[in-house]
Amino acid sequence: MAQIFDRSSNALARMSLVLTGLIVIALGVTLDQLQRSPWVTRQGQRPDQPVPFSHKHHVQGLGLQCQYCHTTVEKSSYAGIPPTKTCMNCHAQIWTNAQLLEPVRQSWATGNSLVWTKVHDLPDFVYFNHEIHVNKGLGCSSCHGRVDEMPLMYAQNTLQMEWCLNCHRNPAKNLRPTSEIYNMAWKGPSEDHPVWCSVGEQKSGVPTADSVNCVTHNPAEAGPQLASLELPAGAGHGTVADVAAAKLPAAPIYQKFTSQDGLGHFLLKQYKIRTPRELSSCEVCHR
Amino acid sequence: MSHDQMKETTNQAGKAVDNDLKTTAPAADASPMSLAQLRQELKGVKGKRFWRSVDELANTPEFQAAVEKEFPGAAQEWVDPVSRRGFLKLMSASMALAGLAGCTKQPDEPIYPYVKQPEDLVLGKPMYFATAHPFVTGAIPLLVKSDEFRPIKLDGNPEHTYNRGSSDVFSQGSLLDLYDPDRSQHVTYRGENREWGEFAQALRLKVASTKDGSGIYFLSTTITSPTLARQWKAVQAAWPKAKLVQYEPAVAGTWVVNGPNVQYDLTGADVIVSLDADFLSGAAYPGFHKLVRDYSERRKLAGKDLNRLYAVEGSPTTTGYKAEHRLGLRASEVPAFTAELAKALGVAGVDAPAYAWSGEQQKFLAALAKDLKANAGKCVVIPGLYQDASVADLALAMNSVLGNVGKTVFVSSEPAVPLPSDQIADMKSLVADLNAGKVDWLVVLNANPIYTSPADLGFPAALNKASIVAHLGSRLDETGQISHWHIPSAHYLESWSDARSYDGTVSVVQPMIDPLYGGKTAHDVLQALLDDPAVSAYEAVRTTWKPAIKGDFETGWRKALHDGWIDGTAFVRTAAPKVQIAKVPTPASRDAVEIIFRPDPNVYDGRWSNVGWLQELPKPVTNLSWDNAAIVSGATLTKLGLEEDDIVELSVGGNRVKAPVIVAPGHPDNSVTVYLGYGREFAGRVGSGAGFNAYLIRNTWAPLYAAGSIQKVDGKWGVAITKSHYQDHRSETFGGQGKGNNSLEADEALGPRGIIRYATLEEFKANPNFAHEGEGRDTPASDESLFPNWQYEANKWGMSIDMNSCVGCNACIVSCYAENNIAVVGKQQVRIGRNMQWLRIDTYFEGDLAAPRAHFQPMTCQQCENAPCEQVCPVGATVHTPEGLNTMVYNRCVGTRYCSNNCPYKVRRFNFLLFSDFETESLKLMRNPDVTVRSRGVMEKCSYCVQRISAAKIEADKENRPIRDGEIVTACQQACPASAITFGNLNDKGSRVAKLRANERSYQVLADLNTRPRTTYVAAVLNTNPELEETPVEHAPAKG
Repeated sequence: MAQIFDRSSNALARMSLVLTGLIVIALGVTLDQLQRSPWVTRQGQRPDQPVPFSHKHHVQGLGLQCQYCHTTVEKSSYAGIPPTKTCMNCHAQIWTNAQLLEPVRQSWATGNSLVWTKVHDLPDFVYFNHEIHVNKGLGCSSCHGRVDEMPLMYAQNTLQMEWCLNCHRNPAKNLRPTSEIYNMAWKGPSEDHPVWCSVGEQKSGVPTADSVNCVTHNPAEAGPQLASLELPAGAGHGTVADVAAAKLPAAPIYQKFTSQDGLGHFLLKQYKIRTPRELSSCEVCHR
Repeated sequence: MSHDQMKETTNQAGKAVDNDLKTTAPAADASPMSLAQLRQELKGVKGKRFWRSVDELANTPEFQAAVEKEFPGAAQEWVDPVSRRGFLKLMSASMALAGLAGCTKQPDEPIYPYVKQPEDLVLGKPMYFATAHPFVTGAIPLLVKSDEFRPIKLDGNPEHTYNRGSSDVFSQGSLLDLYDPDRSQHVTYRGENREWGEFAQALRLKVASTKDGSGIYFLSTTITSPTLARQWKAVQAAWPKAKLVQYEPAVAGTWVVNGPNVQYDLTGADVIVSLDADFLSGAAYPGFHKLVRDYSERRKLAGKDLNRLYAVEGSPTTTGYKAEHRLGLRASEVPAFTAELAKALGVAGVDAPAYAWSGEQQKFLAALAKDLKANAGKCVVIPGLYQDASVADLALAMNSVLGNVGKTVFVSSEPAVPLPSDQIADMKSLVADLNAGKVDWLVVLNANPIYTSPADLGFPAALNKASIVAHLGSRLDETGQISHWHIPSAHYLESWSDARSYDGTVSVVQPMIDPLYGGKTAHDVLQALLDDPAVSAYEAVRTTWKPAIKGDFETGWRKALHDGWIDGTAFVRTAAPKVQIAKVPTPASRDAVEIIFRPDPNVYDGRWSNVGWLQELPKPVTNLSWDNAAIVSGATLTKLGLEEDDIVELSVGGNRVKAPVIVAPGHPDNSVTVYLGYGREFAGRVGSGAGFNAYLIRNTWAPLYAAGSIQKVDGKWGVAITKSHYQDHRSETFGGQGKGNNSLEADEALGPRGIIRYATLEEFKANPNFAHEGEGRDTPASDESLFPNWQYEANKWGMSIDMNSCVGCNACIVSCYAENNIAVVGKQQVRIGRNMQWLRIDTYFEGDLAAPRAHFQPMTCQQCENAPCEQVCPVGATVHTPEGLNTMVYNRCVGTRYCSNNCPYKVRRFNFLLFSDFETESLKLMRNPDVTVRSRGVMEKCSYCVQRISAAKIEADKENRPIRDGEIVTACQQACPASAITFGNLNDKGSRVAKLRANERSYQVLADLNTRPRTTYVAAVLNTNPELEETPVEHAPAKG
């Protein structure tokens, strides 16, 4: 009986085997990439909002501080979405006839909420807490990006678990002095822009941030006025009598940092950040 | 291991146990044993021989079937004829699609910000407000956790001297009652929606047309609010012929509503005698929280002497099981026994009926009288609530004679409720007036008389003779169904009112949330009849307490709201009054069957029928959930030729009901206990149809216990009892009995590992280290494990549970429900062992079936350091945290259930079906936002309230300090009235939990498995009376 298949079909059979393998791999890679793609994470997407609110205009243009609207960022897990009242504080006076602001006025008049669409939306089984991040030296822009340069709000980062763990496993790379938390343009220390930090006495019950004082200009070159302002760390929390009783402070000793790594590890210690092992334990975010 | 060895180790405490374990081991062969044989076997056994249920002792087929599987009944789920091949095909397809399912995007989520945000609201941080749960046996002061102004957790007010933060099943369960989706939502008139104003106007016009209020009747539950009482008095002044009848089925005819107002202080009581008083099992007994706290404070062996509790009781309760010495008497024997005791103590003018007491009873009486006399002034006699009036009188007389009044007993001339009345007589006269056509309007205030009224009155028929029936109630219940007007009533968390706690201190009940369905209160109804009908309950309450608040009223008022009580409003204590002792009734014949009526320990008189948490909660003593039952003794069961779960017909005075029969160890013979509150027709989606209606055989002439009869009828009921779920399959080599027909728990309790360890006070003094003696009782050395040891640098969480304090009241379980969003699964699922409670209270019985002692052991995840569950999870869904918790990561869990298989404590719970309700809107408001609501296919278990740990850690980190001892309180610990649970950091050597762990009586359960549990138990020490100690007593089988 004659051969049905020519010898050359052996090559085809081998090729199809290889191709099948490749297709399976490609499918895997595609799905993996898809899972990380903005299509799933919504990174960079600007959903329709009732009012095209511009953070750029309000933050960069007008200089509003983050906490003017996001009032509870330092004291609660939620940063807080401003009530209509906050908008009306100004917009009862200015832009009172702007068509764009009609939904705000409607909300104010009817008592119904402005219904925003969540831009930074974590899954429901994740319990994120703003207050501890902000109090331990993680700035707004580290997660939210340059909000002051966003005319319309979008998520700068994926907010996926691997992104969270990147920092929880090595917090030093994003830490900054708590005085710079709301500084959108913060870039971390460099040779050109060093950061000087001094440490006061740590006391139990006094927030760690109070005993660390960081400045972005050389304190040695500062005038007498500045020096007098820099009270010893922790004095702010004592009573007036304490301060009066304390001896005149010796000039604080400043350490100079020229890299984020150096500053990060310094703050890691000073802010008593928990160890990566503790920070990446499941129950920190899931319960 | 041979029996001899076993015997030796069980005798470790040096106690002479004269029984031979060989003859008492019920599993000598695998054939079922009849109860008669069993009784023979167990007769007079008082040694340390533990068992968990009568089924287990008798080794019935039901028991074998029930414990056969890891999750009983679960393996039979695969019923459709799918071949293995077809199954694999399906599985491979679903595996292929499973990857894709992971790629779905989250839906858009809207944000609804406030328009004007309340000034002091910090979203994400709960607020706490003081209020009180008004209850007929005394208000329970509460501190309510409020998230965005939604009450999400109720706990006792920690600053209130009455309960110091503790709570009970009723208070905890009332939260779900608030959010019950079946609450009625509209004012209706003959089924049509109306407005409240229309009703108020109709009522007002009607009353005005009568000139003097004649024909206007109010039927209310017991009025506990002084303001409501004041309003009623004003109504009565305005309309003198209007009548108020109070009827509350659970307390009608008891001293709570028209007896002496007596309070007990157990701090100074060395000897406590309970005469059918179940003061340790729930808030149904007045003063529960304080009594348990004071009782347990004397059980901790921490600077204070151990007290001694005697219990004489007609129906087994946790109080009796906790007692050092318990005497089971038929309910009708208790008054006569009390009279004998009073006579023995020298109370003058006691007329004790002649009765042939058995030798055991006489011995008990003599020992009791001797012990009381020896401790005069340092003892207390507590009368039962559901007993003849003479018991309370005699108890007060005995306390007077013993010089206890002013020391452990306090009497007040003020009544405990603002309007005391003879509720049964009033109810009778109401029915007479109805039948005589005198009742024009009957306004029912929060009562459900169609369901609860005594059977002999014929109330439902009589009600038809009223021309208009108006019903204020939270649901369209049995009474609501037939009323002309129905007004939704506001929950106590929705309305202003006031109430008095045990010692009389007034708490203002302040609303936590606007009425969800526009509910009204009895305050509004009564106020509608007065000159100023628009006065709100808020204004009425303020008016009532204006005179009582000293200094500036507004300041004092705000302080009262903030603190949760008004200072200086406690009952005025008086000297012991001259007691008029009611006639002591003669006990009924021993051959006559007695039926005892008690409010249910979970749903009370039926008011919490629709609260799933309470329905599913296993009742103390019987572990029954979702039903009530005819509870009898083992001997009675045998005599009637019954098995557990058989249906019996109970009849009293010609009325009959059918009920399932179950056994409670220690129940007196020829006596049946039935719990009220079941058999509801219109309770709602949860409670309707559960159990049988015991009100149908309860009559005005014998509301507490009655002569009746019991007989077998065909059929099985199908009760859900959550006792033994796990069978011991191990061979003798591995610590089992090799028979495979005992429950795991009982084998372990019996064996050398000693799940239950206790000693008498003498034994403890002779050998303080008793809990650790014997082989295999402690954790092996740390190198005896293949797994590396964990290092805990910072915090190391641990829990200590005091077995001597735990009274088995279940408050912890319901608290856990609320805190951790635990699902309710329903009766059928409970029957196959799928109940989801993270915490259970294991009851281990010991000794004679007719006179057992019981040990309560709260059992929850032990957070093992060397956790067997962690090692078998294929997906890392249960992992060890650096602080030593065995964390469940729900979003990782794929539901293999390996962890549960490998858990020696059987504390993991699996969502076999979609048990959590994700749909019902009102329930969403109730959930704890800090805890995930678990979906189908996910394993869950106790987390040591990790959400509270995280919150405390964040707070402490912010403030740069270590977590303080006592800063983290778990939900179970918070609810516990006995302070039996302590939680804290074991690395902090000064913490209370570290000290308790170092206590010589602390032991770990199943320590020899080297799981190194973080939860330890403090072994009990009993202060037994040597005169009554451990002599086997013959219990004559029931006659007839």
